[in-house]
Amino acid sequence: MILSTVIAAFLTFTGITTKSFVINLIVSQSFGVSMYSIIHFLLWIFKPERMVSLIFIVIIGIVSGTLIGLQMGSFALHQIFSVTLMQQQKSLFRAIVLAITFGSVISYLFYSRFRLRASEEVIQQERIKRLSSEKEALEANLRLLQAQIEPHFLFNTLSNVLSLIDTNPTNGKSMLVDLIHYLRTSLSRTFPDPITLDQEIDMIKAYLNIQKIRMGERLRFKIELPDAVRTHPFPPMLLQPLAENAIKHGLEPKMEGGEITIKAVEKDDLIRIEVMDTGLGFSSFQKVGVGIGNVRERIKLLYGEKGRLILEENDPNGVRAIIEVPKHDVQSHHC
Amino acid sequence: MYKAIIADDEKELRTYLKSMLQEVWPELIICGEAKNGKETLELVESKQPQIAFLDIRMPGLSGMEVAKKIAGLCRIVFVTAFDQYAVEAFEKEAVDYLLKPVSKERLIQTVQRLKNQLDSSIEPPARLAEFVEQVLSKLPGRGGSDFLRWIKTQDKDSIRLIPVEEADYFKAEDKYTLVITKEGESLIKKSIRELAQELDPAQFWQIHRGTIVNVSKIDKVSRSLTGRGMLKLKGRPELLTVSRNYLHLFKQM
Repeated sequence: MILSTVIAAFLTFTGITTKSFVINLIVSQSFGVSMYSIIHFLLWIFKPERMVSLIFIVIIGIVSGTLIGLQMGSFALHQIFSVTLMQQQKSLFRAIVLAITFGSVISYLFYSRFRLRASEEVIQQERIKRLSSEKEALEANLRLLQAQIEPHFLFNTLSNVLSLIDTNPTNGKSMLVDLIHYLRTSLSRTFPDPITLDQEIDMIKAYLNIQKIRMGERLRFKIELPDAVRTHPFPPMLLQPLAENAIKHGLEPKMEGGEITIKAVEKDDLIRIEVMDTGLGFSSFQKVGVGIGNVRERIKLLYGEKGRLILEENDPNGVRAIIEVPKHDVQSHHC
Repeated sequence: MYKAIIADDEKELRTYLKSMLQEVWPELIICGEAKNGKETLELVESKQPQIAFLDIRMPGLSGMEVAKKIAGLCRIVFVTAFDQYAVEAFEKEAVDYLLKPVSKERLIQTVQRLKNQLDSSIEPPARLAEFVEQVLSKLPGRGGSDFLRWIKTQDKDSIRLIPVEEADYFKAEDKYTLVITKEGESLIKKSIRELAQELDPAQFWQIHRGTIVNVSKIDKVSRSLTGRGMLKLKGRPELLTVSRNYLHLFKQM
């Protein structure tokens, strides 16, 4: 409506037509309204998704809008002013050309405004997506912080140290040293810089040493870390929950205990790390631990589809947890 | 003369508690040490102590389970590193407990309480058994849950464990079932009927005689012209049929 009025004014003042403003206004309104309603009606019915069908609809709208608008306009003029538009060949032709020109220009304006809005929407969605993935990463970190030091472990270890002070000060001292190492690394690595694989393995060693003193003969462990992967960048606290699970659910509750083996190998573009235990294994009805869920989530956040966590039954008993991450392309900024 | 046993899977902690007890109650005879639930039961039977110090977390039978069996036979003092729920519960029920590392002051209190009970020859509380049952049921993460949590599938020469949350849906395949996850499909030797009984009904819905879907993976359900529902899962192209019997699950809120 407003646009049609503007066009009428424009036509009058530039002198393209010789008619009065009122007549121009009526004619351009009837063109404008019919084109607008036809195009919107067609868009509403067909909801075109491809560019070709969109253009087709707009062309049909402009042409039929022009014809209907012409009828409406001339009818209105005839009724009000007794002016017959139809009889003046020249001005009729001019009206049609002007209608199609303005119709196309205005349709294009609408279209580009729509495009602009759509692209803004895409940008907005991207932003939401990015923010929510940042939020996920942060939440995973938070859960990590809450999950990593188990109070039960901490108090049991301290009780052991207390006892060892009297019975075996050397062991007590080394247990305390390991505990300090474990606490320092796990606490400071929550919002971390990238670390290397052997740094992570070092802290797991400290953890297993402590468990070894607690469990005595019931725990044996073996770590195989080839030199080739030693200095490979690796996200902190990704392996530790697996070792902790192996102890907590596998070996600690098992009467005769067992063995943990941690093995890292290069495989094509991947680093593959296995944490195997000979413990009780997963019962089908046991809850999925927070630790496992966290590890899986962090792998997804860090590597997307390129990394994964696999859990298998170990032969003859226990669990084998396998982490596969790409050798290059470590995005350790988020997690 | 009273006799006591100490049960803890960690040798150092047994030694520590023993030396503390000898210090604060020199007349008490520690007549045995056990490193798991089974040994504890055997000791109680063979030595018939008046007192048992039980670690709550032990391999085999846990201290709680042992307590259930020996309640009424001797007085029980639980020893735990960090079991908040247990501690709270015991405070109410006046069964004694000790926190590791055991402090001397606290142990003296416990010993005093034990001496009083034993000297006045009050019978050991037999209803401890039922009480322990209550506590056990309240403890989080202990034992298994009632619903299936892991699916074991054959993968080449190994058996893979998949957390149930990762399953998109289950499809009956003769008398076996196909598990479909983001990473692929695998066959399990369980019928869809068995699965329907073992899965958490809040998390998994049966939508058809041969289909169970993970509720959290449902994208949308649309009605087909024939009155059946077509269900789409997030990130999956295929449409699953919801038979009429199960359509009520998707009635609008």
